[in-house]
Amino acid sequence: MKRHHLRALLLAASLSAIAPNFSFADETCNSPFMASLIKGQEKYLQVWTLGVKGMGDESDKLVTIDVDPASPHYGKVINSLSVGGRGEAHHMGFTDDRKYLWAGRLDDGKIFVFDVGTDPAKPKLVRTISNISEETGLVGPHTFYALPGRMLVQALSNSKDHGGETGLVLYSNDGKMLSVHMMPTDKGGDGYGYDIGINPNKNALLTSSFTGWNNYMMDLGKLVKDPEAMKHFGATMVMWNLKSMEPAQIFKVPGAPLEIRWSLNPGADYAFTATALTSKIWLISKDDQGNWVAKDVATVGDPDKIPLPVDISISADAKHLWVDTFMDGKARLFDISDPEHPQQVYEKVIGSQVNMVSESWDGKRVYFTTSLLSRWDKTGADDEQFLKAYDWDGKQLVEKFEVDFYKEKLGRAHHMKFTGEAPNKT
Amino acid sequence: MNAKIFSIAASGLVAALAAGAPKVVANPGALPLPAPGTYRLDRIQAVPFSVVKEGGGAFPHLLSRYTTGKITLLTFFYSYCRDPNGCPLAWTAFEEVRRQIKDDPALHGKVRLVFFSFDPAHDTPASLRLFTEAYNNGRVATPWFFLTAWNGWMMRRTLARFGQDIAVERSGADDIVINHMLKVFLIDGDGWVREIYSSGFLNAEAILGDIRTLRIEQADGREK
Repeated sequence: MKRHHLRALLLAASLSAIAPNFSFADETCNSPFMASLIKGQEKYLQVWTLGVKGMGDESDKLVTIDVDPASPHYGKVINSLSVGGRGEAHHMGFTDDRKYLWAGRLDDGKIFVFDVGTDPAKPKLVRTISNISEETGLVGPHTFYALPGRMLVQALSNSKDHGGETGLVLYSNDGKMLSVHMMPTDKGGDGYGYDIGINPNKNALLTSSFTGWNNYMMDLGKLVKDPEAMKHFGATMVMWNLKSMEPAQIFKVPGAPLEIRWSLNPGADYAFTATALTSKIWLISKDDQGNWVAKDVATVGDPDKIPLPVDISISADAKHLWVDTFMDGKARLFDISDPEHPQQVYEKVIGSQVNMVSESWDGKRVYFTTSLLSRWDKTGADDEQFLKAYDWDGKQLVEKFEVDFYKEKLGRAHHMKFTGEAPNKT
Repeated sequence: MNAKIFSIAASGLVAALAAGAPKVVANPGALPLPAPGTYRLDRIQAVPFSVVKEGGGAFPHLLSRYTTGKITLLTFFYSYCRDPNGCPLAWTAFEEVRRQIKDDPALHGKVRLVFFSFDPAHDTPASLRLFTEAYNNGRVATPWFFLTAWNGWMMRRTLARFGQDIAVERSGADDIVINHMLKVFLIDGDGWVREIYSSGFLNAEAILGDIRTLRIEQADGREK
């Protein structure tokens, strides 16, 4: 390699203008098609934040927090990029090159594309896609999942009746809509959508199911007292043939299965989800005959109390699974070494409410945020809105810092994504 | 080193690289790949304008010369790349695709392979020509072209428009490794990228299925 040293130096100089940030560190739930996982210390945490009327500039915003313990700004908000208006900011996802972060709003359907590769400390809004409803008839872009050169977006609803029938939309990385793939409504399919999880080696695309605009934009107190509305939640997962983008198998998974986490171990062929309404952990795997099956393998808390499991995070070695329960504000850790028999081994109250959880690749740092949906979040003193950062020492969570999003007049803290150092600083 | 000796050396290098690469085979237990022609390949992006140098060619050419008229399988590479999940994996996949096309007369003359070097300082037209000679010896059913960009500006533009990222990593005072996320672009006869493969989903069976899908589409005139 040394004989190429000078030439490589010249190449480095000539191509430096397009070289992305290839620092290493990361979360465990990104698309397997995404480059440059962060396997060391993450530098920044990007938090997609819902604006609140009467608070600050009232706008939805991307908040950047310095999470590098070696930084003088550790634990501080270093940037806030408002996008204008409030449209139910929700989830985000990186493009395959990790240079851009797509962030969606469930109410007005806007998708914002941020450049987080040029300078992750100061993301820039480079594109807004405002016509998903007009182009596809779908509403509520929720999950953003990288494919090579493309973004696969799972919508939650439709513009016809704002119910739960919805679909997947494929975009090119430059924001051109390529194709729509509706969730199945026959052969046991209920048409709902929520998360995306791909296992490329198995040509497998797994989706889960939640509810439509009519429900997720309804006040939670009103919703739970409306028996008819409560009937309109997803109860299925779909295994798609990734190459053909056709449904291959539909599983009955009652109670709104939400986040999907494949085991990241090489050659592994199983995934987990948690059901929000029935408080169960489900395993999607192969049986002895090689057929894909979905099984209820564990209970989260007391289902009668409806703890409402929300986000989950799997460790890189697939030995542990964090499960957040919104209503009691707890983070629970399950030992999933035996995927057929998860065992809860730890729990801690994070706050009056908790929704999202993100862990570093090595599992040593765990971050939590609070907001679920603007009309489902708790009210009054229980409406805490924060980011809390913890170290996990193998036995307990040790709090490192907290950013109070209301005190900082930012809004409701929702989805988190890690970024590394700026390319010109590496 | 004369051309013949270098040609043999180039073949040897490629064989060595390929030998170290992961096997490009269908994975047991995977959902079956759909039959060619039963699914759709989106028009993801148009191949960008670019000016290139071909191995041994005296004059520059438009990239479109190598990306239209036939189905094209294109990837970016550099000849001294040793990342087993990078260029060697692409070599292996391209070799296997070419071998399978050889056994399918319907695809003879319908597909070309393109390796586009992003290191013109090392992979000069003279050295690329030796690869060309080594890989196109005699009549071949699937020609394999070795190109690089006309200049640095054109290289940056081409890589950016393709969405092909690279990064230069300094692993020591004397060692530099050029990291790049492996992407293989399947391009139809009209110059549209119709599929992009990465190391996570790169196998000859899938590529051949997509090539046959494009051939069926072309025959049916569905996308015309």
